[in-house]
Amino acid sequence: MRQKRKPFWFLRRPSAEIAADVDAELHDHLERRTAALIRDGFAPDEARAEARRRFGDVDATRRYCRRQHEVREDGMRRRLTIEDLVQDARIAVRGLFRAPVLALTIVASVGLGIGAATAIFAVIDAALLRPLPYRDPAQLVRIYTDSPPYRFRFSVVDWQALAAQQTTFARVAAYGDRPMTYTDGTSAERLRGREVTAGYFETLGVVPALGRTFTEAEARAGGPRAVILSDRFWRQRLGGAPDVLGRTIRLDSLDYAIVGVLPPGSGPLEFDQDYFVAAQWPAPRRKGPFFVTAIGRLPDGSRPGAVAAELREINRRLFPLWKSSYQDEHATWAAMDLKAYLAGGFRSIAGLALAAVALLWVIACVNASNLLVARVTSRRRELAVRAALGASRGRLVRYLLAESAVLAVLAAAVGVALAWGGVVLARTAGAAYIPRAEEIVLGGRTLAVLAAVTACSMALFGVIPAAQGAGGSFRRDARDGIDGGLRTLGRSATGSRSVRRLRGLLVGCQFAVATPLLVIAGLLIVSLGNLGRVDLGFDTRNVLTGAVMLPAAQYREDGKVLTFWDRLRTDVARVPGVTGVAFTSSRPPNDAGDQNNFELEDSPSGPGRPQPVTTWVDASPEYFRVFGVKMIEGRLFDARDTATNSPSVVIVDQAWARRFFPGQSAVGKRLKGGGCSTCDWTTVVGVVSPVKFDGLDAQDRGVVYTPMAERGADLAGSYSGRTRYLIVRSAGPIDEAIPQVRKAIRDLDPNVPFTRVATIDELVDRSLEQPRGLSGLIGALAVVALALSIVGIYGVMAHYVQQQAKDISIRLALGGTPRRVVGLIVRRGMTLVGWGMAVGVAAAVAFARLLSASFFGVSPADPFTFAVVAALMLAAALAACGVPAARAVSAEPASVLRTD
Amino acid sequence: MPLPLLQGTLDLLILGAIGPRPVHGYAIASAIEERSGGDLRVEDAALYQALHRLERQGLVEAEWGASENNRRARFYTLTSEGRRRLAEQKSYWRRYARALEGILRGV
Repeated sequence: MRQKRKPFWFLRRPSAEIAADVDAELHDHLERRTAALIRDGFAPDEARAEARRRFGDVDATRRYCRRQHEVREDGMRRRLTIEDLVQDARIAVRGLFRAPVLALTIVASVGLGIGAATAIFAVIDAALLRPLPYRDPAQLVRIYTDSPPYRFRFSVVDWQALAAQQTTFARVAAYGDRPMTYTDGTSAERLRGREVTAGYFETLGVVPALGRTFTEAEARAGGPRAVILSDRFWRQRLGGAPDVLGRTIRLDSLDYAIVGVLPPGSGPLEFDQDYFVAAQWPAPRRKGPFFVTAIGRLPDGSRPGAVAAELREINRRLFPLWKSSYQDEHATWAAMDLKAYLAGGFRSIAGLALAAVALLWVIACVNASNLLVARVTSRRRELAVRAALGASRGRLVRYLLAESAVLAVLAAAVGVALAWGGVVLARTAGAAYIPRAEEIVLGGRTLAVLAAVTACSMALFGVIPAAQGAGGSFRRDARDGIDGGLRTLGRSATGSRSVRRLRGLLVGCQFAVATPLLVIAGLLIVSLGNLGRVDLGFDTRNVLTGAVMLPAAQYREDGKVLTFWDRLRTDVARVPGVTGVAFTSSRPPNDAGDQNNFELEDSPSGPGRPQPVTTWVDASPEYFRVFGVKMIEGRLFDARDTATNSPSVVIVDQAWARRFFPGQSAVGKRLKGGGCSTCDWTTVVGVVSPVKFDGLDAQDRGVVYTPMAERGADLAGSYSGRTRYLIVRSAGPIDEAIPQVRKAIRDLDPNVPFTRVATIDELVDRSLEQPRGLSGLIGALAVVALALSIVGIYGVMAHYVQQQAKDISIRLALGGTPRRVVGLIVRRGMTLVGWGMAVGVAAAVAFARLLSASFFGVSPADPFTFAVVAALMLAAALAACGVPAARAVSAEPASVLRTD
Repeated sequence: MPLPLLQGTLDLLILGAIGPRPVHGYAIASAIEERSGGDLRVEDAALYQALHRLERQGLVEAEWGASENNRRARFYTLTSEGRRRLAEQKSYWRRYARALEGILRGV
């Protein structure tokens, strides 16, 4: 046996002792020298002085020697510590190898908990916690028009007033999306880009890696056209050439001079953009449209509240000037933290995921604790032997904790692997839904959280079993002496009531935590089903959509634009299998191009009151037939409406009609759109069945269809006139028609890109991706939680049955029926499950209410979901209790009684 | 006057002065002086610094014990590591001295 020695922390020699030793030795030397000198004839005083002189620097020597000892002590202590830990770990690993199923269960489940928690934290850290990667990011705000519950973007009018009148910001800037077609001589491609004001990069504190930012002249209407490229554009399309400055690229058939290249990965506002051009906004003639996002930098040390008064004041001055095209006088200007703006609505989803992961992690740890308590209990004899052979109580605890530590380290390894996978997944598949996904990393902060979670895991599942094991062996020790302890421990039937109670408690907790997780997963799955069943309002099969954009430079005359659309319609209609072709400005289920405000003739909102807002869709006359939207009242668009100078008409959907004209016909009603008080009245000529444009989960708030402009309106000069969605319906599978539709467009004009091509079914599927991912994640976590709870209750019952084997056999031998005995055992287990679930259901009700925004078409207290979850859990628990019970009564009573 | 010490010889002198029996620091200093016929002398400060450094390096071991006339002193012995080092150093310096001698003979 290994020689018993003091644990490493007793070995430290106090530095006072070291100092005293060194001093004594040096003193001894000086004494000897002095004595020798006196023998040689020195006077005592002189001898002492001479000894010191000959010695040299006593103090430096003293310091040096002490230091040598301390270094040695440190090294020794470190070595012993490591030796001890290695020894502990070796014993623990050897022990765990003898219980591989237990070890695997704990490592896998706790590892899953750690990994999932870490991955979710990495996502939350990037999306919500970490400061924006700009200079002094806390000073950055977004400025918007506040008209609760909406936060509207600015218009050019708003922006120009802000830029001219503000005095409290250090800087302000604005940007708008500006997708353009890039041609490099051989092919045309639609790219993402933005138009930004002159101070945009200065406001954010982004410095181009090459070249410069925009000048004031470039950001003025009619100024030189300049572009700043993203790092990605520069590398992929220009080969990262260092001499690109001053060269030009063609965007929308115009030449733009390259004045700068951004550094790689600058920030979330620049992420995924290919280029930035200087905004050359012409002087506006009306208040809208509202497509400008304004940002500002607060002076050092001031908060968004400091600018609130001034923003309100500028808006108040601006309002009367544009009253003819904008009436919402309740809207004010406000500023919000830019980071919060970019995070958007992600906070609630993140909270849900984090809650689910935390619950799973708790279950995994409690389960591990439960399994380890059982392990400690079944090893009582071994522990008592160790105690009898002189292992101290501390040593026993350390021995038990070492096992937990080894398990925790292995679980952390599994967790790192899972977290890494999760981070990769979030950066790729999740990038479309997670704000600032490009910033998600498995970095220092995340790993620190992982380490902390691991340490908490170990504390959660290590401390109770260790205390139980060491405490248990010693309590008995004290009462009966070691002999008694050994004797009782050898017989497992007695003295384990407290352990049983503890394990019962742990199992109850598992069920209490698993219930809300399963309920939330259930509610999410029901929500997903409801979303998938949402009726878009038409037959979604075999409908192809795609955006066609005519380059401004080649399509300068309305006639040319109209000819293109006409020929496109007839050419695509000629493709075999195609049964209908239409044009619109919007796509179901969530690509409503335009929201517009309007004034009703019958019920004007009155001056200064916000006007109602609904979705406005430009549609060609064929739209209704191609989609299969049913006409309910009135008429559809026809040649009358698209001809020049025809009276202004709209068609509304049923939801609109019911909302604004409940109980009466909407046909013949008149309105003025876009807040234009000087325009002619627009007449409602028809009512059609509703179509979802605002997302599957949104209420139908009404849609207004306007006839797609084919008259003298400024088609070539406006983006909307040159851009349309092409809608194609085919009789057979649409996939076969897609190449020919593409060819038809290419044959008409190879410079016209056909982008965002997708069938309606694909669009629906895409909009279900995020809820599907979320319910998949939480469902998977819930299944693991249920499995772990079942493992827990099974373990407890198997252990109970094993310990009560004699009692059971006696009952059976004395004539108890197996049914009754099984009933007794199962009732015992189900009592634990029952109270756990009772607590769990209460928690689930509270949780689900908290998360009600994440559910669709199902009440957070949905009785069906609760019932199914409860039934599922009870059935699983019943099976887990029944199996050991059945095994117990099937044993031969006589053979059980004879053993031991 | 004693000779100035050649660099690298201090450890050798100390290790060599510690015999098979434990000795204290003062005895080591005296032994070096005596055995070199007074030509070599190690400054006390340097001696003790070297002793404690050698102890940290594991070449010597020290223990408190009673010396003549019952005074307590710190006694040094060589560890096996120390003996090995001494043997290496010995053969090195012997060769060195022989080589030097050979050259000097020719002068």
